[in-house]
Amino acid sequence: MTTLWDTSGTAVVKALAAERRSGGSMTSGCVLTLVVVVDEKDVHEAEEAAARAAQAHPLRLLIVIRRQIETPVPRLDAEVTIGGRLGPGEAVVMRMYGRLGLHAESVVLPLLAPDAPVVTWWHAQPPDLIAHDPLGVLADRRVTDSSLAADPRAALALRANDYAPGDTDLAWTRTTAWRSDLASAFDTLRCRPTAASVQGGDTDPSALLLAGWLSSRLATPVSVQAGEGYGIDGVRIGLEDTHDLLLCRSNGDHVVLQRAGAADSTSPRAERDLGDLLAEELRHLDADQPYGEALGAAFGLADLTNRPPTRVHIWHDPMQQTATPEPAGPSRTAGARRDRPAP
Amino acid sequence: MNRQRAADLPHTNPLRDPRDRRLPRVPEPCALVVFGVTGDLARKKLIPAVYDLANRGLLPTDFVLLGFARRDWDHGAFEDVAKNAAREHSRTPWRQDVWRRLIGNIKFVPGAFDDDAAFDQLAATLGQLRDSHGIRGNAAFYLSVPPTMFPVVLRQLARTGMADNDRSGGWRRVVVEKPFGHDLDSSRELNALVDDVFTAPDVFRIDHYLGKETVQNLLALRFANTLFEPVWNANYVDSVQITMAEDVGIESRAAFYDRTGAARDVLQNHLLQLLALTAMEEPVEFTADAIRTEKLKVLRAITLPRDLADAAVRGQYAQGWLAGERVNGYLQEKDVPAESTTETFAAVRLGLGTRRWAGVPFYLRTGKRLPRRVTEIAVVFRQAPHLPFVATDTEELGHNQLVIRVQPDEGVTMKFGSKVPGSTMEVRDVAMDFLYGEQFTESSPEAYERLLLDVLLGDATLFPRNDEVEASWRVIDPLEEFWTGTQPFQYRAGEWGPKEADQMLGRHGRRWRRP
Repeated sequence: MTTLWDTSGTAVVKALAAERRSGGSMTSGCVLTLVVVVDEKDVHEAEEAAARAAQAHPLRLLIVIRRQIETPVPRLDAEVTIGGRLGPGEAVVMRMYGRLGLHAESVVLPLLAPDAPVVTWWHAQPPDLIAHDPLGVLADRRVTDSSLAADPRAALALRANDYAPGDTDLAWTRTTAWRSDLASAFDTLRCRPTAASVQGGDTDPSALLLAGWLSSRLATPVSVQAGEGYGIDGVRIGLEDTHDLLLCRSNGDHVVLQRAGAADSTSPRAERDLGDLLAEELRHLDADQPYGEALGAAFGLADLTNRPPTRVHIWHDPMQQTATPEPAGPSRTAGARRDRPAP
Repeated sequence: MNRQRAADLPHTNPLRDPRDRRLPRVPEPCALVVFGVTGDLARKKLIPAVYDLANRGLLPTDFVLLGFARRDWDHGAFEDVAKNAAREHSRTPWRQDVWRRLIGNIKFVPGAFDDDAAFDQLAATLGQLRDSHGIRGNAAFYLSVPPTMFPVVLRQLARTGMADNDRSGGWRRVVVEKPFGHDLDSSRELNALVDDVFTAPDVFRIDHYLGKETVQNLLALRFANTLFEPVWNANYVDSVQITMAEDVGIESRAAFYDRTGAARDVLQNHLLQLLALTAMEEPVEFTADAIRTEKLKVLRAITLPRDLADAAVRGQYAQGWLAGERVNGYLQEKDVPAESTTETFAAVRLGLGTRRWAGVPFYLRTGKRLPRRVTEIAVVFRQAPHLPFVATDTEELGHNQLVIRVQPDEGVTMKFGSKVPGSTMEVRDVAMDFLYGEQFTESSPEAYERLLLDVLLGDATLFPRNDEVEASWRVIDPLEEFWTGTQPFQYRAGEWGPKEADQMLGRHGRRWRRP
């Protein structure tokens, strides 16, 4: 591991090459670059998840932490590791101070794995328009997480307005198990669905996306009924000539499927952690059209998937926005660094 | 729309979208019936594969594992056996709640294969499960039984009507393990019987090599890229070597092995299938039928050299040292007759009568008690027709090679010449490795896991068809005839086969690649 204080992007590139030579892995395999945008307070969580995803996909990991944009003197600190707490691959953690944060791509671009796809993941509040962040513009796939927002419904609506093919949201990834169980139940269904509803938090982005997906696939309106708490509680499908089909959560970590003419069946539903969700996202590096359609259906927007897949960077300076002042910089600056070994 | 019409419509699931690749393929409700469920294969491979599939969420909600064997067990006793087997041999981590879901769905029917009453009982049990467990008449029968028992079990299935798609109101499939007969005639007989009891498309012949990720990757490598196909022919390829080496001996299979030998046990199925995948033309589409049609064309085009003495060598291991341990020779193994002439090593040179491959020798070898367990396909390219270097500069340059490593360390190796750094021009072979496990580190599913899933989904792409099996026997039969009455050459356990196998290539200016 190499730690560089108050350094430059060129020095980071050199440090990465040196680290590779000394590690003996001159021809290490790498199928993509994962850029993680995260705030200092969530770095640990993001690192853990990214390391987990790196177990499943050989990737180069670039973690970007933008700090104290108001600091007058820009500065870059970086840590370069291969095979360690950040997973088996190459990893660089970069802390960017001051206005360097607005030009993060100048450090990141030379560090991208040659000609491999780039995925940018915001484990933080993403910009209102992805085009505001150059790290989003240079990516082939962009992963956000609406559930982190104070108002997740509004956050997802923002993503729908700003959608371009190649975007996904971890709220969508959280619906995969539900969608898989429903598709499986439909395999043996011999009659038409007439109505459907999703029980769950009515501001929960996963519940909204599941409802959007069902309405886009079944061509019937699907309502979201406020359930007991957070996440998805269940799905009810009204059928043409038999009883409803009901799939719902029970005992926290199980789901029960109720159908006419068959005994209820219970199956375990293991909670997936952030790393699992991220690993699923990285499996497919092309645009996820079903997500685009589900998102469009959830917010009544048509033709989302026909939008152009590339964005052009729009200059955006948060310092000049008086209407929405930037939140104060994190206060636990010292604590976040305490576990770093000496260089 | 009225009820009648709805039932007539071809059923399409509106929630299935080919673009939606996050959703796994899950089979319809069904039962998996395993004959010989107390055997090694069932305990070490099949039951753990069922658990792994369940753990990955790839089994339908309505699924029953039904065991049949000659044991005095009830459902509960079998459940315990199955649990231990799954726990000990599964690939994925043990999760009690996944198993708990399987528990009520594991059934056992005791009986012998010639016991009519037991099969009636089995048929009745399947009938009950249709309603109680919602399996809708769908069942796959896995014949994990000795080859002599195939016909017995098949006739029982025919007698009770369990093999009949129409009578069951769902699909009925059968899975047969190798050996598929012991020569052309017996395989024809077996194929006729099994295709008659079931219908031909419902017969799945398992060759577990075809379930390996790298073998499927061979098709991607060849047909998804432009880099390799242009040189994949006699103009550029010097020879192809396919090796399947095992370090183990015959273990406790003496009775079976002594009747069979390496050629029938491995060459006839695994090696010829690997040859077919390596040499076949591009299928018109990536479907079971199209791929199997192309494989069949290659298998039919295989030619044996006129002088078999120059092109076929068989060997038998003698006492030796392997991996630091002293091991017995074949003749000293338990239950092997002292004068046995069964081969434990076979190497052959085959030709292919096609425009693409005319004149390119395909060297196939397999053996037991070789230095290490390895399976690979090596495509050896011709040397450049002219080298502009001084002869001494390229002394260490060999043939370019593309090696598909099937197991272990699944992946691809490319071997080519490169300049040795320094002030003089010196070209030497270097190897570039693509390690499958590194590039896509999600651990690849076990071959049986993949193949079982394909059976339940009805996808026959990775299963050889009856005519492929027969075409393969047509290659093996003349070899067996040639070898009859001859003594196999001896090789020390822990060597790469008898020296005659090296001479077989040496006579034509080639040598075996050391895997």
